[in-house]
Amino acid sequence: MAGGAALEAEAEGAGDARSPSYATTVMARFARNRFAMFGGRAVLALVLLATIAPVLALNQPFYWNAGQGPELPWLAALFNRLLFENAIDLLFNLLLVAALPAALVIRIVRRWRPGVSLGRAWLGASALVGALFVCASIEAVGSLKNPLHFTERVVNYRSERERLAVLGVEPSAWFPLVPYSYRETDPQSSLRGPSTEHWLGTDAEGRDVFCRMLYGTRISLTIGLVAVSIYVTIGTILGALAGYFGGWVDNLISRLVEIMITFPSFFLILTLAALIQDRSIFHVMLIIGLTSWTGVARLVRAEFLRQKGLDYVQAALALGLSPRRVIFGHILPNAIAPALVAATFGVATAILTESSLSFLGVGDLSVASWGETLSAGRVQQKAWLVLAPGAAIFFVVTIFNLVGEGVRDALDPKLRR
Amino acid sequence: MIPTFFGISLIVFIVLNLAPGRPGAEGEAGDVAISARGEQTQDSYRIFREQFDLDKPVLLNTRPWLTTDEVRRDLEVAAELTPASIVLRIAAQERLGDLGAYAVPHLMAVLDAADAAGQLRLRDTAVFFLGPSSPRRLIDPFNPVPGPALRAYNDAVTAERGVLGSLRYGFDAPEVEKRRVIAGWREWYAGAKRRFEYRPFEKLRLLVTDTRFAKYWSNLLRLDFGISLTTRQPVFSTLVSKLKYSMSLSLGSLALAYLLAIPLGVVSAVRKDTRLDRVITVLLFMLHSLPSFFVATLLLLTLSRASSWQALRLFPTGGFQSSNFGELSSWDRLGDVIWHLALPVACLTYGSLAALSRYTRTGLLEVLGADYIRTARAKGLPERIVIGKHALRNSLLPIITLLANLLPAVLGGSVVIEYIFGIPGIGQWTIDSIHGRDYNVIMGVQLVTTVLVLFGMLLADVGYAAADPRIRYR
Repeated sequence: MAGGAALEAEAEGAGDARSPSYATTVMARFARNRFAMFGGRAVLALVLLATIAPVLALNQPFYWNAGQGPELPWLAALFNRLLFENAIDLLFNLLLVAALPAALVIRIVRRWRPGVSLGRAWLGASALVGALFVCASIEAVGSLKNPLHFTERVVNYRSERERLAVLGVEPSAWFPLVPYSYRETDPQSSLRGPSTEHWLGTDAEGRDVFCRMLYGTRISLTIGLVAVSIYVTIGTILGALAGYFGGWVDNLISRLVEIMITFPSFFLILTLAALIQDRSIFHVMLIIGLTSWTGVARLVRAEFLRQKGLDYVQAALALGLSPRRVIFGHILPNAIAPALVAATFGVATAILTESSLSFLGVGDLSVASWGETLSAGRVQQKAWLVLAPGAAIFFVVTIFNLVGEGVRDALDPKLRR
Repeated sequence: MIPTFFGISLIVFIVLNLAPGRPGAEGEAGDVAISARGEQTQDSYRIFREQFDLDKPVLLNTRPWLTTDEVRRDLEVAAELTPASIVLRIAAQERLGDLGAYAVPHLMAVLDAADAAGQLRLRDTAVFFLGPSSPRRLIDPFNPVPGPALRAYNDAVTAERGVLGSLRYGFDAPEVEKRRVIAGWREWYAGAKRRFEYRPFEKLRLLVTDTRFAKYWSNLLRLDFGISLTTRQPVFSTLVSKLKYSMSLSLGSLALAYLLAIPLGVVSAVRKDTRLDRVITVLLFMLHSLPSFFVATLLLLTLSRASSWQALRLFPTGGFQSSNFGELSSWDRLGDVIWHLALPVACLTYGSLAALSRYTRTGLLEVLGADYIRTARAKGLPERIVIGKHALRNSLLPIITLLANLLPAVLGGSVVIEYIFGIPGIGQWTIDSIHGRDYNVIMGVQLVTTVLVLFGMLLADVGYAAADPRIRYR
């Protein structure tokens, strides 16, 4: 419904010709909103948390030496499909390996030579990091005995350590803060309450709940981003075409929108999900994306209808530009603001929808989805299994709604009451 | 509204045809082992295909013009007489299975020709495909009061099915047995031959009527959504009987939402920018972000009989009514239902409060600055009358239109709530059907809920016209 409120949001065009650019004024207005800034910072923190999840929690030690030479199981595990089956995890791991060091290098370079442009610094840093990574791998492969440990099976280093301890060998091992993996089941310790060993307890299969919450952040953020990107793209294109061309195009698209809003969207999503055999998390994203574009289409269409008559559009047409350039190059940048507001709220809605789906057992059961843990908590009647994912969903939805409100107020201060 | 309904049905039709990732070929259509998905999936998929005629061509049916050569070619591929990849072979088998009755005369022709030429493998394959293709379908099998003609026809079909069902043999059966079965087929075909001969006009009729599209529409207009896999009952009647649970939940929640949100909106508009206004805004904002399934689970854990605190066991753990519902007096029945629905309705309602009260507040603030409000105040009316009578009536108009937006959301939200509280409505049924791969139910629920929303929108329009004398529909 928040998107509905955004329907009223009228983007203030770039009409005011004061010196700072439109983007700067909007950013400044956003920064003045305390709640929105909190939301924005929280979102950034979540992205960071999702990226560095393996640093905080993984059942592979960073460094392992049991007297048979040093090993680096953690680094090898990052791209081991036995540990990280899902493409989302692999993507975030890639981000972890490449982007964070690159960002560090950029900081250092910019402190050193402040004049360097961001793009060039980024390129240089990425190249440097990539080269370093390759060199490190080759060096490591050459000098250590199978250091990256690219094996077909996953060694459980915790039980390995216990086994060695019985033999009187004390291996030197540096584990992450939480030495579990989100898929690692342990029937011995199922349904344990929160303790120092398992911070948020374990679920029925003995999987560490904290770990699942942490990796669930990746799923939620990706769902929000991808699903919303899909429907903003569809909605923007359809809305732009309808608003710009009018006539039968508008008629057709408007009827289509009317039809789509009549479907109770959750039933439609459920139906589509039911008809897909072997759903993956990407199917879920696609379904949410394909069913939620109507709001954006209506907003963009309304903006286009208004902008179409303005002088700058006439000028662009008089220059003989093609409709494609007028639509996407000239009008769209001025008409996209309400869609952006809707998209920010949409991220929250998409995350909610995905967790509802996995709560009902209709999502992708192989990923660490918060909804799935909550569902387990309902079945097992265990409070910690309900509270942890519920709080996580609540937090993420709240911060995206806060950012959405901030963006809306920043784009249209008139709406603030 | 009619065009919208047409569009909705068209979209559902498209979904139906793009859907499901086919669980392999037909259960009977060949020896390819695709049974990894299990018996039940195969079964449900077959029922689904029958209901929506997924074995038929989509728009135009050219099968009355089928030639024996085409059937023979597919048979040869299916019988592994011509070298072909496994994919092509499965496709040929599926095609033969889909052709149904149209293939029967050609199968008989191939059977005779192959028998004469001594091509035993081809002959046996033809007999194999005759099995599922030859029987007629029952008409309206769930009619509780069939007419004599209908009953006679269905009895004849059932009897014929029994005979045809016995006319089959394994590929390694003794030749004598095969001869006997083939003789049986020839005898049956001599009697039933006329059924498979089409006059030119009839062919043209079949060209457009015996298609997925036409069948889909005729099913839709007859409100025939097929049978449910689990109960073997018609989907539509079950749906209607379950509608009362879902509707009392949804409508109850909508009514409660309006009852609560309007006063909240009025208070925060009248006390604009006070601490009360801010508290209401923040509270509703947080409620809006709270996932309903989380709250529902939590409430069940704390306030229901499952609670670990004795004093808090106030509500039932779920269901729509108590087990002794039949013995209660009518007032007690109402009380019992309300007692059962209190938690579910609360969970379904709080999420829509934020939007509704926000709209009320905005609408009221807009109106409060108007001249006629100042006039009303100037002539000394009490504030209560000014707000309640002059301002509120005008500011409520947008709220009525919001009903059209809320209804799909509430209906969708009720799925999760019904699931958690074990209310046997359509939402719960949908979830069960998804897990049981009961596609007919899923499609039926989809169509019916959409039509419900359509009616809700119509109602909102009518309500708007009733509330605003400036709007007249001509």
